[in-house]
Amino acid sequence: MESNSSLSAELRRVTRELASYKIELHQTRAYLQCILQNTSDLIFATDAEGTLVSLSKGGEKVLGYSWIEVAGKPIKDFAEDPQSFEPVMADCLEDGCALAMDVPFRHKEGRTVYCNASLMDLINREGRRVGTVGICQDITRWKRLQEDLVQVDRLAEIGRIAAGVAHEINNPVAVIREAAAWAGEVVADAKGLGTDDRQELEEVMKKIGAQTERCGNITHKLLGFARESRPSKSELDIHELLKETIAFLAPQLKHTTIKIDLAFAEGPLLVKSDPRLLEQVFVNLIGNAIHALLEKGGDDKYIALGTVRKDSEVEISVEDNAGGIPQEHQGKIFELFFTTKPPGKGTGLGLPISQNVVRSLGGEITFQSKVGVGTTFRVRIPMS
Amino acid sequence: MDDQQDIRVLLVDDEENLVEYISKRLLKKGFTVKATFSGEQALEAAGRDHYDVAVVDLKMPGMDGVETQKKLREIQPFLQCIVLTGHGSIESALESGQEDAFQYLLKPVDYDALVAGIKDAYKKKQELQGAKFQEEVQRIQASGMGAHGIRKALADLRKIYGV
Repeated sequence: MESNSSLSAELRRVTRELASYKIELHQTRAYLQCILQNTSDLIFATDAEGTLVSLSKGGEKVLGYSWIEVAGKPIKDFAEDPQSFEPVMADCLEDGCALAMDVPFRHKEGRTVYCNASLMDLINREGRRVGTVGICQDITRWKRLQEDLVQVDRLAEIGRIAAGVAHEINNPVAVIREAAAWAGEVVADAKGLGTDDRQELEEVMKKIGAQTERCGNITHKLLGFARESRPSKSELDIHELLKETIAFLAPQLKHTTIKIDLAFAEGPLLVKSDPRLLEQVFVNLIGNAIHALLEKGGDDKYIALGTVRKDSEVEISVEDNAGGIPQEHQGKIFELFFTTKPPGKGTGLGLPISQNVVRSLGGEITFQSKVGVGTTFRVRIPMS
Repeated sequence: MDDQQDIRVLLVDDEENLVEYISKRLLKKGFTVKATFSGEQALEAAGRDHYDVAVVDLKMPGMDGVETQKKLREIQPFLQCIVLTGHGSIESALESGQEDAFQYLLKPVDYDALVAGIKDAYKKKQELQGAKFQEEVQRIQASGMGAHGIRKALADLRKIYGV
């Protein structure tokens, strides 16, 4: 009897203990689930053979696959290069954990996703290794930003070198010009030269002079481009400027079906502003439109340039039918380094710089975009 | 030859070839030209002889154009300076307290613009000098010196201003 009652007391105690473990287990699981569901990191678990047995919601997003699609597949299959992923797993096997930077994974859509990965052995109660847990942080955006910064740096460096070269070349060009001019004067004074010879020499000296003039123009343009300068305002005709800009972009428009429509206000549109800076802005806006049209434009691609007088301001519009800017990008297009072009193609500088330039001239750039149709940029600048 | 025999030009540029050809052309036009290849040489020349207009390159090793110009004017207060600058350095030249230069010309310099600039600078120098001379003369007259004293003072002035 006595042993019976002590047994049942023991049973009650064990039952209570079990219940409390159950609660603890439940809470721990809920806690882990919460992490796995909410983290944006790719967290996975594999069995001892490296086969996936768990994947976080963030992991589904990073790789583009749903859990159903990847369950039971080896994790290394999702690395961009499975061969190169194996040493990381081997490291983990050897030391119980491993860290790897910039591990390239392959997104379902084919693009590369870079992650900083931290791997750990999953050990069971007997101390036996039963699998691997990995926590991978998606650093693709950071990497892209880094690449952009490198690109910007490189551009700035090229600018500096070009400016330096242009500057150095100026002096010898000036010497050639003066030497030729002097030679011209000597020829003019020379006695005993035949008429033909004299004419020939004069012609040659003039040519040397004209060509050095040309060199000078090139170096000045280059230096003007490389140098950041404050606006220097002068009277200019916006219509002329737009036509020049189109002429400048003509090489890009060649061999395309893009049509340029002009809807200008009547007569010349005179403003007092900085022609060089404005041209830079229009080259950027029209260049962007061309790029977008070539990328995703339909059959009858067009860019419409329009001008309107509004009180003391003028408004220039650049409209395209390239399908518009995706809703999620519309808030970012003036952000520094935001680009949808592939690395090396876009710097993410064009629009922010254009916005700055227009603001420095007392104006503003705005845009309207209809997804599926096209985009219109409007540049407002004061007349003086 | 034109009528600039009496304009004395001091050229200062470390690009010797350029100075050589510009000198030759200016000489042929009738200017009196002294070619120097550094700020130091220019100051030495200005210490010895009198000049009307200096054409100074902004960027030179050693003493640069800004400093050369300043020192030249300490020696010869009426000397007018034309400063030659590379692209984009005009602002920096202006910022470094450079308003005393008569004119800035962009390099590579346009020869006709240079000649015109030298003539204008010479005119300005003559005017300033003339005005100052008049002022001094009046000051002396007003000072109540005797005839002898005035004659002597005027002779001194003539010597100083080369009038």
